[in-house]
Amino acid sequence: MSARARAPQGAPVADSIATPAIEVVDLHKTFQLQHRHAGTLKRAMLNVFRRPPREFKEVLHGIDLRIEHGESVALVGRNGSGKSTLLSLVARVYRPTSGAIRIDPNRGKIAPLLELGAGFHPDLTGEENLELYGAILGMTPRELQSKFDSIVSFAFDSPDLADKIDTPLRNYSDGMKMRLGFSIAVHLDPDILLVDEVLAVGDEAFQQKCYRKIEEFQQAGKTIVFVSHDMHVVRRVATRVVWLHSGRIRMDGPVEQVVEAYIDAADSPGFESPMANS
Amino acid sequence: MRTDLAELWRFRGLLWQLVRRDLKVRYKNSRLGFLWSIAPPLMQVAVITFAFTRATDFARIPNYSAYVLVAMIPWTYFSTAILDSSQSILMMMGVIRKVYLPREVIPLSAAISNFIHFLMSWGVFFLYWYGFRRAPILSTTIWFPYLILCQFMLVTGISLFVSALNVFYEDVKYMISIGMNLLLFVLPIMYLVETVAYKSSIGKGKLSHQPWAIELYMLNPLTALINGFRKSLLEAVPPSSIAGGEYLPLDVPSLIITGFIAFGVLLGGYAYFNARKWQFVERP
Repeated sequence: MSARARAPQGAPVADSIATPAIEVVDLHKTFQLQHRHAGTLKRAMLNVFRRPPREFKEVLHGIDLRIEHGESVALVGRNGSGKSTLLSLVARVYRPTSGAIRIDPNRGKIAPLLELGAGFHPDLTGEENLELYGAILGMTPRELQSKFDSIVSFAFDSPDLADKIDTPLRNYSDGMKMRLGFSIAVHLDPDILLVDEVLAVGDEAFQQKCYRKIEEFQQAGKTIVFVSHDMHVVRRVATRVVWLHSGRIRMDGPVEQVVEAYIDAADSPGFESPMANS
Repeated sequence: MRTDLAELWRFRGLLWQLVRRDLKVRYKNSRLGFLWSIAPPLMQVAVITFAFTRATDFARIPNYSAYVLVAMIPWTYFSTAILDSSQSILMMMGVIRKVYLPREVIPLSAAISNFIHFLMSWGVFFLYWYGFRRAPILSTTIWFPYLILCQFMLVTGISLFVSALNVFYEDVKYMISIGMNLLLFVLPIMYLVETVAYKSSIGKGKLSHQPWAIELYMLNPLTALINGFRKSLLEAVPPSSIAGGEYLPLDVPSLIITGFIAFGVLLGGYAYFNARKWQFVERP
């Protein structure tokens, strides 16, 4: 008898172990392409009776993926292989064309770090931006208030940097903005962290701090899904690697095995034509 | 629509933050701050009053500037809220490409922050009109909150509609700014509805012999609202100043119809927005 069949009389704990953090079932995503520039109303009016030529490109051709709680999954693959699209679909930025993405309803709080500080406004102070970005990521004002000091001290380790929190963001360096964005995102206390190439930001010392935070995450049994082209980062953080190629999963397995296969393939001459495969 | 509304409710904190951001950012680097939202309508009223009472002998209405101002406040709210929200989605595109949030909070925050300016403008007007000028408070003033609500629904519905449309057709913003320039003259802002009704060439003191024309004119919900604000706050003007005709009283049935139209516009705008909102980030 399987664990699933026993579940009805078993404790709910058994059920939650069985529920994956993210389950992707036969996921397809098609984008509409337009080769000319943005549409104008004039063209739309001229083409009222004529259906304008439309071109569709399917970028994901049926992805099946099951990610358990506590896994750290790296998505690797060439540019245009569909990694970021998959991550954006999980983050609910896009809607699937067909198929489904199921997030564990009980432990499914997502922190999307697809871009740090998306929505920062240069005329607002660091503190005001922190409130705004926190709200964009789904923090309640009370939650934000209780974590405020911790976010600021994580982002700016020295007191004279922390003093800048009430000055407009345009006075901040790019590195400082990234640090603030990263700090807010990791303080969301998410169950699932989605990261696109921004695993560690800032100077060497801050990057080490980012990695320590990510290790804390892993030890707390949280789930991480990240896209990276840096195989050092993949080896350091991931517990499992999924290799996407032309919108399909080419390989899925333990870190070393997949990374080596991926690097070998990248070296081979026939690899440089991804369009031929699609 | 129910699930959309539930999702919007869940993100009400974000909506509030965005409204606060709009209010803070708008006049952040200016010295006069909020005065910039009350100064333009006041200056327009001053110029219009000059043009119509000094340069022509067209307007013989006592306290003419008050009649213009009471129309100019809802007009300013209408035009700025719709212009702001038409751009709002494109300005936040960088965010919605990267983070999930219910898209409607973006045009809604533009509409709501302008609504707050609208209320503050009325506050300034009331201080002046009842505090400084000691004008009497009329019984028709009880309609004032209803008019505010109708205009909020109307503006929010149009804002949702144009913000979604402008993502796909960027001509919309040009059409809106031209449309706003023309509407300023079509709406009863510089003149009264009665002036339109009693066209002096047709016969003094009688309603125009084309009553359907005035009915059609009043069907525009914004016309009805501007007329309603005037009738609810200001006193009747003498017939001699409006081509000899009677000053029309507050038209309750017309305001009820306007309420339904405004609610319909709100529902229609939201339905259109919902049908389109997932395509924003995938715009080809």
